[in-house]
Amino acid sequence: MPTTIPIGLNVNGIRHELNVEPRWLLVDVIREQIGLTGTHIGCEHGVCGTCTVLVNGETARSCLMLAATADGAEITTVEGLSTGETLHPLQAAFREAQGLQCGFCTPGMLMVAHELLRENRSPSEQEIRESISANLCRCTGYQGIVDAVGLAASSQASAPAAR
Amino acid sequence: MATTERRWIGKDIPRLAGRATYTDDVKLPGMLHTAVLRSPHPHARIARIDTSRARALPGVFAVATGEDAKEMTNPLPAFCAEPVVQYCLAVDKVRFVGEAVAAVAAVDRYTAEDAVALIDVEYEPLPVITDPFEAMKPGAIKLHDPLPSNLAFEKTLSFGDVAADFAGADRVIRRKLRWHRASAQPLETAGAVCRYDPITQKMDVWSNTNMINYVGWLIANTIKVPAAKLNIYPMYVGGSFGSKHVLGKIIGIASMLAKRSGRPVKFMEDRVDNLIASENLACDRFYDAELAVAKDGVFKSIRVKVVDDYGAYFQFGHGTHGNALAQVTGPYRMGSFEYTVQCVLTNKCQQGVFRGAGSDAGNFCLERLVDAAAQELGIDRVEIRRRNFIAPDRFPFKTPCGNVYDSGNYPAVLDRALEMSGFAELKRMQAEARAQGRYVGIGLATAHQRSVYGPTEFWFWYDSPGLTTAPESVGLSLGPTGEFVVTMFSPFWGNSPETVVAQTVGEEFGIDPSQVTVTYEDSQHALPGAGPGGSRMTVMLTGAVAGAARKLKDKLSRIAAHQFEAAPEDIVFADGGAMVKGSPDKSMSYGDLGLKAYWYKLDLPPGMESGLEARHTYDHPYLTKPSADRKDLGAFYPMMAHGAHVPVVEVEPATGRVRFLRYVAVHDVGTIVNPKSLRGQITGGITQGIGMALYEQSAYDADGQPLTASFMDYLLPTAQEVPRFEIGHVETPSPFTEYGVKGGGEGGRMIAPAAIASAVEDALAPFGVRVDEVPLTPERIVKLVEAARR
Amino acid sequence: MKPPRFDYLAPRTLDEALAHLHHHGDQAKILAGGQSLIPMLNFRLAHPGVVVDVNRLTDLAYVRQHDGGVAVGALTRQHAVERSELVRARVPVVAEACRFIGHAPIRHRGTFGGNLAHADPASELPAVMVALEAEMAVASRAGSRAIPAGQFFIGPLTTALQPGEMLTEIRIPAAPPRSGGAFVEMARRAGDFALVGVAALVTLDEAGQCARARIALCGVGPTPVRARAAEDALVGQAPTTAVLDEAADRAAAATSPPSDVHGSAEFRRKLARHFARQALAAAIQRSGGR
Repeated sequence: MPTTIPIGLNVNGIRHELNVEPRWLLVDVIREQIGLTGTHIGCEHGVCGTCTVLVNGETARSCLMLAATADGAEITTVEGLSTGETLHPLQAAFREAQGLQCGFCTPGMLMVAHELLRENRSPSEQEIRESISANLCRCTGYQGIVDAVGLAASSQASAPAAR
Repeated sequence: MATTERRWIGKDIPRLAGRATYTDDVKLPGMLHTAVLRSPHPHARIARIDTSRARALPGVFAVATGEDAKEMTNPLPAFCAEPVVQYCLAVDKVRFVGEAVAAVAAVDRYTAEDAVALIDVEYEPLPVITDPFEAMKPGAIKLHDPLPSNLAFEKTLSFGDVAADFAGADRVIRRKLRWHRASAQPLETAGAVCRYDPITQKMDVWSNTNMINYVGWLIANTIKVPAAKLNIYPMYVGGSFGSKHVLGKIIGIASMLAKRSGRPVKFMEDRVDNLIASENLACDRFYDAELAVAKDGVFKSIRVKVVDDYGAYFQFGHGTHGNALAQVTGPYRMGSFEYTVQCVLTNKCQQGVFRGAGSDAGNFCLERLVDAAAQELGIDRVEIRRRNFIAPDRFPFKTPCGNVYDSGNYPAVLDRALEMSGFAELKRMQAEARAQGRYVGIGLATAHQRSVYGPTEFWFWYDSPGLTTAPESVGLSLGPTGEFVVTMFSPFWGNSPETVVAQTVGEEFGIDPSQVTVTYEDSQHALPGAGPGGSRMTVMLTGAVAGAARKLKDKLSRIAAHQFEAAPEDIVFADGGAMVKGSPDKSMSYGDLGLKAYWYKLDLPPGMESGLEARHTYDHPYLTKPSADRKDLGAFYPMMAHGAHVPVVEVEPATGRVRFLRYVAVHDVGTIVNPKSLRGQITGGITQGIGMALYEQSAYDADGQPLTASFMDYLLPTAQEVPRFEIGHVETPSPFTEYGVKGGGEGGRMIAPAAIASAVEDALAPFGVRVDEVPLTPERIVKLVEAARR
Repeated sequence: MKPPRFDYLAPRTLDEALAHLHHHGDQAKILAGGQSLIPMLNFRLAHPGVVVDVNRLTDLAYVRQHDGGVAVGALTRQHAVERSELVRARVPVVAEACRFIGHAPIRHRGTFGGNLAHADPASELPAVMVALEAEMAVASRAGSRAIPAGQFFIGPLTTALQPGEMLTEIRIPAAPPRSGGAFVEMARRAGDFALVGVAALVTLDEAGQCARARIALCGVGPTPVRARAAEDALVGQAPTTAVLDEAADRAAAATSPPSDVHGSAEFRRKLARHFARQALAAAIQRSGGR
């Protein structure tokens, strides 16, 4: 039997106690052991960003992290952005502004956009492009995504209590 | 064709929302995971494979090699007649670096990879051929023994009087052009989950493959399962752009391991698999092309000679040259053309199709010649295009080879592009920039984007006919609560097919598209359909839905007519139900109609079956066979969309860096169903075109080793490499399709590389640079400038 | 693309970590941010026997004043270095260079020390440390030593670190008054590895002549290239166009660039000349010169 070590991950507010092989990547533990498949695998060498999650509140590539290193961390995945039937304002904006086509890059893009809007309430187009250039999209040509983030920013500005 | 008042077609409907299940999200009890051992040699005999250490590793359930593939599978289906045999695992020989040699199914992917590392293979390296010109020579080492040489296919097709047109020309413009190999690289790699029941011989497959109801029976033959027992589930696909057609190798490997292990088996390519062993790389061409012109700039004829490096196998044949025949002469009036193709096999990963499917390269060739003609004749490049455009009153237009262009207004598209870009102002800005020592270029391409492929394109180059069907089907039902359900049978690629069908149902029945439910059905329950690709889905789905709608409306009218003692012809559908024309009090909601049809048999017209369901198979709306003497290939790609692109770039001659100042694109794809969705296809397509023009190349060194085996080397554009696109539209409806729709999915990538090449050449015009190659990497640009300076 | 098996240790103190490194010698590989090591594990290009995960050594994450300059703990995330007020005030070229490292999600995890210890020839930070004449503080069970940046980088992915040793702190001196620094780079795309990067630091005297110059390039040799001949062309001279051109020429001549799919050696050398010129001009402008 391969050696496993016990770790604890807080994922979207729920604590998971797991036994993992040290070499298991965080993205695989999220997808397989925890069963949240919204975080995707696109390249496994840190370029495409489809695996992006928040680790202790900061975006990180979960394909470049061992689950073991994440022991004790707070992880937020795309599933943690919305609750029940309501879309997160970003998700609603992506839908409205055609920020997605195949949807595969979308969870990673949402995490990056979420962090951007948390730090910068009204980003310029250039700032949005710089932020999302961390993630690849092969379908949209990015314009719909840029528009979606801009739309979410302006609706955030006009809404009194943001998430 | 007059514009009709439409309620939903042509509106910006947001896409239907939901959670997607991609192939890698599929989890079955007991499922195993696959890793593949791939050849490190570009050409070698497999002397010996020892899998004993791999089999002995705890957690490994099955191992397969080419010997197993020979026994358990048949060769992969091929869209060609040549005897190029390929199994899902290499048999006896490997012919490219990355070819699959063995596969392991284990409890997880980590263990499977551990096992792969324990497989010992003894190779006997063979001489390597990477240069197609060397490969073509008699005496060159052959990749496939049954073939006479590596020149797998060559042929010349000639239409009209080419010799006379060239003889009578005032000038012949000649260019040699290079279009390098690229790769679709969707963010989701290709994969399959296979589950086999040995008692019933049923194979269930969850895969992001395509054409499941088109070539499904060929896949069944490959994996040695009776066709009626193969069941493929259409999946949400994380992008394909052509690269996920068929996927015989992936399904072959997963199915073998499923049979052998007795458990469901998942095989997802990892990124390296997809980069070096994709079943569908793009064309890799050397053009030698000539345009015969009169001194007033009128184009007489074009002669295209192209050598295409197909890699080690010929799985998808020369369809990418078949489809190019649809628009060799582009939007221009030319009386003749000649096209010579040489398909060569080399020790590289094979070609298939990638968005544009050969007509992207064809447009590059034609538009470079047009720019060259303008330059050599001293005629403005906008003017020379206008002079040669097929006039708007000449449609449907028959091209020299017989293909028909259904409709078009090329001057209007060009005018719109010039207007949107402020062309005159751009030239002024360019002059100012040049005075400041900055190299700004304005590009122009006016090019075709054929849509809705005709299957005849796969076999044009042969003398004997092949398949002539390329349909799409839907099911449409109205339930007892008045809810509409559309059932689709082809996978979702990201091109919003669900939104298209919902809008069409909304239009046909006068209901809000958001009320329409969309479902999918697996292949055992499906109707024929070739699936997405070749810019066909919007046309084919609107046609299929319209056909099903007609059948359903026929039944509904008879129910309503019977209810109101009216004539069925007097029933109209609007505002959520059916009513007698002119008598709004005589109306029934869809809920009323549904309940009636399912519960009140005795209120239905005598002889009518209960229920409200219609299925419709929509065949290609305008496809005709070639003439017996093959001088007329018939109509095979008549839905001819068109576009004009005006990119504005700044080039830095010292470093070769290119940045976009603007990008204007005007497309005419007939009647637009969903503007937002179309805009997304265009911006996405242009971005892939920017990739092709400046960043992307599936490169090999002279020894056949892949140089771009990671995303650090195969470069997809990010949001910082592409500008905001300014998209305009012109609509010339097609006379041959429902609603006059044409396809627009590929156009961005089909036109952008030509336009960007034009822009870079224009930027470097002060040096006298000629651009004849893509991608234009920084180094290539610097070398062009240096060569021109000497 | 999954990592091969390895033994895993996650020490909680520096002493514990050093004990592990001593015990396992060259079988041990330190895991900090993971942005360089984990891709290598995923590609199975690295097969360490033991991975020593140092992410619990949070005491090694800091940015402090040191002798007018700054001291950066090896485990400090690149993002924190980039955002540090102290770094921006005292050694701004370090913050400037950090912005070229990949993208924000990579900088959230990647560490300052890890990047240096990895010593990728195309990495920005090694060249910047060489130009700034930083000092690497290295610890082992036997004690500690300081290695000047100029002696730290030995070859591609190879540093002066011996088995059992770990980088703990990087001490970066501040520049004298009337100094300006710049980091410029060209990559194929935003966030990619540099084709060529140049770190330049110049100090002017009261007469506006160049009193001191430091130039180092990345991506153009097996280690950062310290262009001393280029520096010599500047020192004692007024920074005229001709002088800067000469310095840039000499900087390019000092390189031995690789050839790969992104550019030949010859092309990289041309870029080195172009960007050395650009970096010098920017550094001089920032020093208050013309």
